[in-house]
Amino acid sequence: MVFNFEIIGIWFLVLMTLSILSYLYGDNPFYKASEHIFVGVSAGYIFALTWWDQVWPNLFGRLFPNYVQAGFDFNIIYVIPLILGIFMLLRLIPSLSWLARISIGYIVGMAAGLKIYVFINSNILMQIQNSAIDFSKSGFEIFNHILILVGVISGLVYFFFSKEHKGVIGRVSKIGIYFLMIKFGASFGFAVMGRISLLIGRFEDLINYSIEDYNYATPVIFTFMIISLLIWSLKQKDNTEDYKG
Amino acid sequence: MKNYILKLGNLDRRIIFLLIGLSVLIPLINPNLVDLPLGQDRNTKIVYDSISELNDGDRVLISFAYGASTKPEVHPMAVGLLNHLFTKGIKVYIVSLWPESPIMAEQAISAIKESQLFDIKDGIDFVMFDYKVGGFVVIKGIADNFRDIYQQDKNGISINDLPIMEGIYDVKDFDFVFDFSAGVPGNAEWVQYACDPKNVPLSSGCTSIMVTDAIPYVESGQLKGILAGMPGAAEYEKMVYDFMVKEQNNNNKYINLEKDIVKGKAYARMSAQSIAHLLMVLFIIIGNIAYYFSRKEN
Repeated sequence: MVFNFEIIGIWFLVLMTLSILSYLYGDNPFYKASEHIFVGVSAGYIFALTWWDQVWPNLFGRLFPNYVQAGFDFNIIYVIPLILGIFMLLRLIPSLSWLARISIGYIVGMAAGLKIYVFINSNILMQIQNSAIDFSKSGFEIFNHILILVGVISGLVYFFFSKEHKGVIGRVSKIGIYFLMIKFGASFGFAVMGRISLLIGRFEDLINYSIEDYNYATPVIFTFMIISLLIWSLKQKDNTEDYKG
Repeated sequence: MKNYILKLGNLDRRIIFLLIGLSVLIPLINPNLVDLPLGQDRNTKIVYDSISELNDGDRVLISFAYGASTKPEVHPMAVGLLNHLFTKGIKVYIVSLWPESPIMAEQAISAIKESQLFDIKDGIDFVMFDYKVGGFVVIKGIADNFRDIYQQDKNGISINDLPIMEGIYDVKDFDFVFDFSAGVPGNAEWVQYACDPKNVPLSSGCTSIMVTDAIPYVESGQLKGILAGMPGAAEYEKMVYDFMVKEQNNNNKYINLEKDIVKGKAYARMSAQSIAHLLMVLFIIIGNIAYYFSRKEN
């Protein structure tokens, strides 16, 4: 039986996977513990990564290039993001929290400015341009283009609320509803497919780690969890009966 | 009959979970038990053809924006694409836009190296860059000034000292961009901030859940095809496998002729996926009939 850091990591992986999957039976201490560990580890990992990969080289690397050797030259303009970053942290001090609004204002303004152009260009203008029917294509492709055009127009009419949906507008908006329903159905189908794929990934790991090379991690932990959950549920039952008197 | 269907409609959800679990587990334990045929989607074919049109020495920027949770769907696509590109002698540039992505990129490159099919060298045939926080801001930076965003590669070597980085200043210096994503930033950000404004061809491999949002970009040609979830990965994997076998038989100078080409993982997973889907469809039909009967009764 071998025990090294890889094996310990794999045992922990199997324990966490089975703990999360145990929620399918019902809420239990294994699930709760793994949920909290996940939140804590994720937050810590992202914080450390953001600090060492982003803030340290990109900000301090430009302000103190001799100390933080990240390949950048000194650039005084980076004092501004440093100040804005400090302002954000001042949210934690109630008397100075108003300063954070300046940083938030900068982020919102910059993001909105950047997004407006690209959104109009890629999601509106180019989509309108490509909704046009290309009669030079083959019969089936023309039919597809017509279908897309009908879908776009009827979908837009459905979201046109300045006129009551009666008569022609009512009928066109109803066609729009059918197109939307097909879209929702497709989205649901793809969502199911995605979830099953994730399950396949987890099961594959559990199968791979159930062999002797990994000290039978999956069967051992699975058995241990079943016994623990059984004892736990019996205790819960006793506690409930005690409570009821 | 009606009573049975009504009983099935009120089935304990844990039994449904168990059945779904078994429908996935059994084909994974014994893949030979069920071998369902795999089709070929038009969008996968477009991706394959777009990559096939690239030439020896071309430069492809690959964006990794997925993590461990979505690895089963997206990772086989990444390995498939790297196999495809290295078979054609194309230079690969990898950027990571999710915190876990550098690990995924490292694993994909390791899988290629372990296969010993290619004699690839870091800094010459491929280069990897570390994770950058900022999402679409990083994409915009890559589009405008690559060297302002990245000064060093993942190993800490200055990009000025890397032969592969010669002539790379912005996204226009790449012949193709490929995005692997599982959320934001993803293919939409690459379309909007880099490839549409700079007119660089882009393809994407993404999780199933993202597909319906990305399809309008495919239909309009803003995305050159799409690898849609695990079926997309399996189809592309198979096409690349066939291509590599053909190239090996033709004595392709980039492939080690003495090593065997192994089929990818996505193909083997598709039976489990298909059976689980069939079961889901069955549950949906029974659920709807039961709902119809219960409404009629009430």
